[in-house]
Amino acid sequence: MQPIITAQDRENLVSPLFKFDRQFWMTIAALLVVTLPGLALYVRQLFLGLGVTDLNRPVFWGAYLVNFIFLIGISMAGTVISAVLHLLKIEWRRPITRIAESLTVFGLMVAGLQIIMDMGRPDRLVNTLLYGRLQAPLMWDIASLTLYLLTASFALYLQLLPDIAFMRDSTPENAPTWRKKLYSTLSLGWRGNKEQWARLEKAITTVSVILIPIGVSLHTVTSWLFSTTVQPGWKSTILGPYFVVGAIYSGIGLLFIATAFATQYNHHLKGYITDTFYKNLGWIFIVMSFVWFYFTLNETLVVTTEQETLEFPVMAAKLFGEFAPAFWGMNVLMTAATWILIALKLPVKARSNPLFKTATGLVMTALAAVTFAALSMNIPALHASLVKTILLAAFIVFFILALLGLTGWFQARLIPSTVIASAFVLFGMWLERWNILMPTLTHARIIPYTTYFPTATEIALTISTFGILTLIFVIFYKFFPSISIWEVEAGRAIEQKNGG
Amino acid sequence: MNFPMDEPLFQFFYWLVNTPGIGAAVIGLLVGAAVTVFFLTLRWIVSAKNESEEGLSFPPSH
Repeated sequence: MQPIITAQDRENLVSPLFKFDRQFWMTIAALLVVTLPGLALYVRQLFLGLGVTDLNRPVFWGAYLVNFIFLIGISMAGTVISAVLHLLKIEWRRPITRIAESLTVFGLMVAGLQIIMDMGRPDRLVNTLLYGRLQAPLMWDIASLTLYLLTASFALYLQLLPDIAFMRDSTPENAPTWRKKLYSTLSLGWRGNKEQWARLEKAITTVSVILIPIGVSLHTVTSWLFSTTVQPGWKSTILGPYFVVGAIYSGIGLLFIATAFATQYNHHLKGYITDTFYKNLGWIFIVMSFVWFYFTLNETLVVTTEQETLEFPVMAAKLFGEFAPAFWGMNVLMTAATWILIALKLPVKARSNPLFKTATGLVMTALAAVTFAALSMNIPALHASLVKTILLAAFIVFFILALLGLTGWFQARLIPSTVIASAFVLFGMWLERWNILMPTLTHARIIPYTTYFPTATEIALTISTFGILTLIFVIFYKFFPSISIWEVEAGRAIEQKNGG
Repeated sequence: MNFPMDEPLFQFFYWLVNTPGIGAAVIGLLVGAAVTVFFLTLRWIVSAKNESEEGLSFPPSH
């Protein structure tokens, strides 16, 4: 029987963790450049108060809370996807489980920061606990988030344990002593005997079962922050499942982007994370696209059709008003993402028709972008209904031709196309969270309507948030292998047993 | 028909959901229980003794 983890594997998976090369420092520097301005503005906000944001009565929640819900969503999916694939014993999951589980933990950590950012006086956070009552949905959210963070961290640690022991035994001679001690301490004396493995497997399976309902509860409870109120646009029984669907959808998108980023960062990982993962998870991504569209249609259609006095102005603000660019932008992004994913599954054909040429697609994309911008901007000359109708028709034609023209390009590039679709989904889902929060807050019940637009502080802190998330990701994977080594070994053992 | 709040059980529920600080106590209990279970699980896993066998790098069930 061949050795399952070869010297080449060690070179690919372990050696890069001990090389603090130029690429690593450049990445850290770039991420700090993205992150630090926001942090500096946060210090300013801490001194000057929330007046530096556009938050005011009745818009108490703005970009920070949109980020919070978005991050909770993308976090929810990582571990849930990993748990479901583990329980179903799906083999292609093995190389990506580590990244999926870690995204959950990092996402939840950064989501928690949003609450602190949203408080003018973060020192008063403790009051929510001292005076928190069980009837408050906010308390349910804190309970659910804390429990999910703890359980997801535990799941990640369980999954890491054999690999930490592997790192302990594979640390190069010249590695710093503190690093050897780190692996030695965290490995808890793991030896990998039969009984330890049996117990570890039982624990991983049990935690996988527990994680799925906790993950679903987390995002459902987050939606209850809104749907338990009497505010128009939020008072909906579908919000819970809608949040969960959106969470899984965006979580898959982030998983694709993180995996592509990891393989781009360490080219050797391409030998482990193969096209099979992109192709198979791509199917689930397509299914989630349709489920998400179904829920969006359901929410939009019901409210639009009933035209209830308080509810309809909120929906009208999304369909035709100040939130129309965000609402239709979200739908355009999701449609484009879904088409890209479907195109990757269609048979590749050489087409001579100029409509299917990449150049045509690029020109049409530019024209579609210009017409969309013209429709979104408040330009008086374009207010005439005939002009608007022509622009709208032109946009639809340009958009369809853009997707058709670029189909060949997408089909020839599986990973870049999946990453583009994922980026569209992530941006679209951020807009979806925006579209749930802001139209209601600015069109609240009884009190006069108002407006909200994030200030430079809120925009910079939003950028910082994603910088911090990436920074944690890069630093963590400088200390621990981004691919579960023992899972890969187990997969190879199964292949050998099956004669593969 | 009696108003539910006449019943001691409902009075208890009312106290439970309306008393400041109870929420934190429940979260504390949840967190405490979760951390204890996770700690005990880790101890249970690593304490498995089987000295006669060599260490394996992946589960023997595969």
